[in-house]
Amino acid sequence: MIARLARAFETLHRLRFGHIRTRLAVLYTGLFAIAMLAVGIVGQVMIERHAQSSVRAELVTSGSVFDRIRALRASSLADSADVLARDFGFRAAVASGDQATILSALANLRQRVGVPYAFVVTQDGDVIGGASETLRRTVGTIPYKLAAGRHDATVTSGRAVYRVVVSPILAPTEIGWVVFAVPLDEGEMQALEKLSAIPLTATILRHDGTGWVPATGGLRLPAGAVDRFMGADGSHQDRPALIRTSEGSAIALARPLASTSDRPEAMLLLTYPLAKALAPYRSLQIGIVLSGLIGLILVLWGSDRLAGSIARPIVALDDAARALEEGSRAEVTVIGHDEIGRLAVSFNRMSAGIVERENRIAHLAFHDTLTGLPNRVLFRQQLDAALGRAVRLGEQVAVLCLDLDGFKIVNDSFGHPTGDALLRVVGEIVSARATDGIVARLSGDEFAIVLPRFEGDRPRALAQSIIDAFREPVMVSGHSILTGCSIGIAVAPGDGDDPSGLLKNADLALYRAKQDGRGVFRFFEPGLDAAARRRRQIELDLREALHKGQFRLDYQPIFDLKADRICGFEALMRWDHPTRGLVSPVEFIPVAEESGLIVAMGEWALHEACREAQRWPEDMRIAVNVSAIQFRNSGFANIVVQALSRSGLDPRRLEIEITESVFLEGSGPTLDLLHRLRALGIRIALDDFGTGYSSLSYLRSFPFDKIKIDRSFVAPIAGDASAAAIVRAIVDLAGAFHMETTAEGVEDPEQLAALRSQGCSSIQGYLFSRPLTVEGVRKLLQDQGMKRTPELDPVPIERVFAEPPKPLSAPLQAAGR
Amino acid sequence: MLRTIALLGGFLLAGTAAAGTVTVQVRGANGAPIADAVVMVVSPHAPAGPIHFPWPNVVKQQNISFQPHVLIAPVGADVTFPNMDNVRHHVYSFSKPKKFELKLYGHEDKRTVTFDKPGVVAIGCNIHDQMSGFIVVVDTPYAAKTDASGRAVISNVPDGAATLKVWSPAIRAPDNQTAQSLNVAGSVSQVVTTP
Repeated sequence: MIARLARAFETLHRLRFGHIRTRLAVLYTGLFAIAMLAVGIVGQVMIERHAQSSVRAELVTSGSVFDRIRALRASSLADSADVLARDFGFRAAVASGDQATILSALANLRQRVGVPYAFVVTQDGDVIGGASETLRRTVGTIPYKLAAGRHDATVTSGRAVYRVVVSPILAPTEIGWVVFAVPLDEGEMQALEKLSAIPLTATILRHDGTGWVPATGGLRLPAGAVDRFMGADGSHQDRPALIRTSEGSAIALARPLASTSDRPEAMLLLTYPLAKALAPYRSLQIGIVLSGLIGLILVLWGSDRLAGSIARPIVALDDAARALEEGSRAEVTVIGHDEIGRLAVSFNRMSAGIVERENRIAHLAFHDTLTGLPNRVLFRQQLDAALGRAVRLGEQVAVLCLDLDGFKIVNDSFGHPTGDALLRVVGEIVSARATDGIVARLSGDEFAIVLPRFEGDRPRALAQSIIDAFREPVMVSGHSILTGCSIGIAVAPGDGDDPSGLLKNADLALYRAKQDGRGVFRFFEPGLDAAARRRRQIELDLREALHKGQFRLDYQPIFDLKADRICGFEALMRWDHPTRGLVSPVEFIPVAEESGLIVAMGEWALHEACREAQRWPEDMRIAVNVSAIQFRNSGFANIVVQALSRSGLDPRRLEIEITESVFLEGSGPTLDLLHRLRALGIRIALDDFGTGYSSLSYLRSFPFDKIKIDRSFVAPIAGDASAAAIVRAIVDLAGAFHMETTAEGVEDPEQLAALRSQGCSSIQGYLFSRPLTVEGVRKLLQDQGMKRTPELDPVPIERVFAEPPKPLSAPLQAAGR
Repeated sequence: MLRTIALLGGFLLAGTAAAGTVTVQVRGANGAPIADAVVMVVSPHAPAGPIHFPWPNVVKQQNISFQPHVLIAPVGADVTFPNMDNVRHHVYSFSKPKKFELKLYGHEDKRTVTFDKPGVVAIGCNIHDQMSGFIVVVDTPYAAKTDASGRAVISNVPDGAATLKVWSPAIRAPDNQTAQSLNVAGSVSQVVTTP
């Protein structure tokens, strides 16, 4: 039973419930139902036991009472018989066989005592008295069968059962017997039943030779039902027991009724149906079941309420956790101070923490930590959204790409913290002006603005206002920094309708703005795109060219005006593209510089020039252009030394031409390098002087060996007085610093004459010679000496070399260092 | 007629010299000796003439009982019933050989009844149910009661075939009597086991 309960409990536990509330309710109700069931079972067992035991007790009592009644009746009958048997006259009648007298006496006795049958049995076995023959025969044998000392017996006669009482007629010896026979019939049984406190049923059973059968009443018994009370072996039980009857179970008690022999022929069976015994308890049973049901409903209701009150905060937590999982902010109401209350507090704290962290992460993911502005990702999203709406509503969207000019110089000069601070200030300045747009920092010093739904000329006005804002120095970390910015603008839908295209085009426009001299803004034009494509193609081709050796050097002679002879050549890079033919350096050099390929190309050119120059006469110099990028490359000095040592060229025959741009990103390291090269004996020429900044401070800071006057001054020299004045000033300046001058792009004799008159040291140009191939140079050099240009005035060539070598320290001193 | 036979027996007894003693031991079915049983030998050689027993034909009522309990009386004997008690008795008998009734009589009062037929006469007192007695009326001179050990000795029984009868209330047989043949030749001992 216990095991079975435990198993049920286990099953209950294993059931899967979607809700704590259901689980608790089912658990409590189940437990209560089990308890109630146990109470009910115990109650039922107790009731049955109690009912049975009280009925049994009653049966036992009734049995005893009946025994007594029977005994009393027996003795009363015996007394009556005795009275008759002892009557002198009766004895005389019997002794004399006076039948009439005997019969009248018996009739008188029957009436007086109230017995249906009375007989006199004589010693001869004659039976005197009226009854059926069967009964008379039975009665006639009884006195002889009855053991000494016994006066009554219960016997069967036919199907009937009789109680017989025998009294001897003594005169003074036995001369006969008075015998009473009382049928144990329905009436007798009803009389007995009335004596009992409980409405039991009394039945006489007779033994018909095979088993016990009821002789009275309507009771029907299955075969063997009462064998337990009187077995075939004579065993007999006088305790009440439960038997089966045709009307169901009954509690029964049997009293064997002594016959003339040892074996009873009849039994008195007292029965009480179990159902009747339980009837008084029916109301109790109904009460138990009803109260159990009411209790069950109460427990179901109560446990559901209790479970609800327990589960409600948990359900709230569950819902909140789910909401949190789905990403929304979730708070639960804190109820009570128990574990669940504390859990709610913790949950709220956790939830708040998660939300805060999420916000931070989201902010980090979409914002630039330095400026706090949206980053590229968020910018792309905003641009996407703006474009989507613009397409729907037919609006325009502008993208402005903004890049600081010379930010690297700021970073290098003032340090990164200052650079960062500058970026922050820039962010603020731009944001302050682009209130109608979204400002983002894309990378480094690159910012971008989305202008959705603008009207009229707003992009232009915005760009101009930003550029204007940077005309004044800004104060950053105590430094007054002047920085410019360039802006490229692309407008959707005309300049592209997807974010990438629009941004790319704005970038191209920015590039153009940078190219066009910085501090300006440019709108995107379709040509820009084509140019950019061409640049990308060139860059690709350049790599291949470098690999496949498509470059060559041409050499343009430099004519020494004083010596009146060729004093050297300037090496010029030529690219013979296999399909496009000769590509202009103007076209590919900037690309090479931007892509960094210039470093490798420059290295190749240096080697090639030195190698070739080595074949020339020893008084021929070779001038090689070095790009600022190449020059700033850390390995440049080594490359020069390597080129010299590989070719075996005298360093003094090598002239490196640099432009002012090498000084753009700080002059300190540049000067160091220049001095190191100079120490090797290499000559340094300042190229394209007069364009760009032409800061005189450079001339002061380094003693260049030569200044090359840009062709833009040379070309108009003959007719334009101002140009001539500039050339003269440059030549005079160079002279003051003991520097040579070379005029580029001399194309006619008038220019030559003007230059010569102004004291220019040497010239280059078509007038004298176009750039020559290697073979052309060799041929020219062979011809040198015997043939001189007739238009040129003879100038002693020794003059160039007659001048003593310049001391290294002199220019430095001259520069005031 | 019986008296004639008895007289004839007495004559025969006197006339013949050959006679013996019959000793009878009476036992019950359980082997226990039966006292106060009456043993009778009916012999054809018995002498005729009146029969006399050595005991008086008296049944006293003494201590609310009959003394003796069993009296053997010859046919025709006058048996007296003296009342020795201080109470009255009402002696009666419904037995066939002799029905009589001696209505209430008192102390020292004496009544006499003549028993003229052989047979057993059960006597009782109508006042005192417990009083019971028997008078065995015999027509043979050879009769005796067994003693406490169940033994009876009858002497002077003439030799020859005879019938041995035993009567006792304890014998469960018709008339409480058994009978068997007996050949008397001098002294004879016989054990009778009653049914």
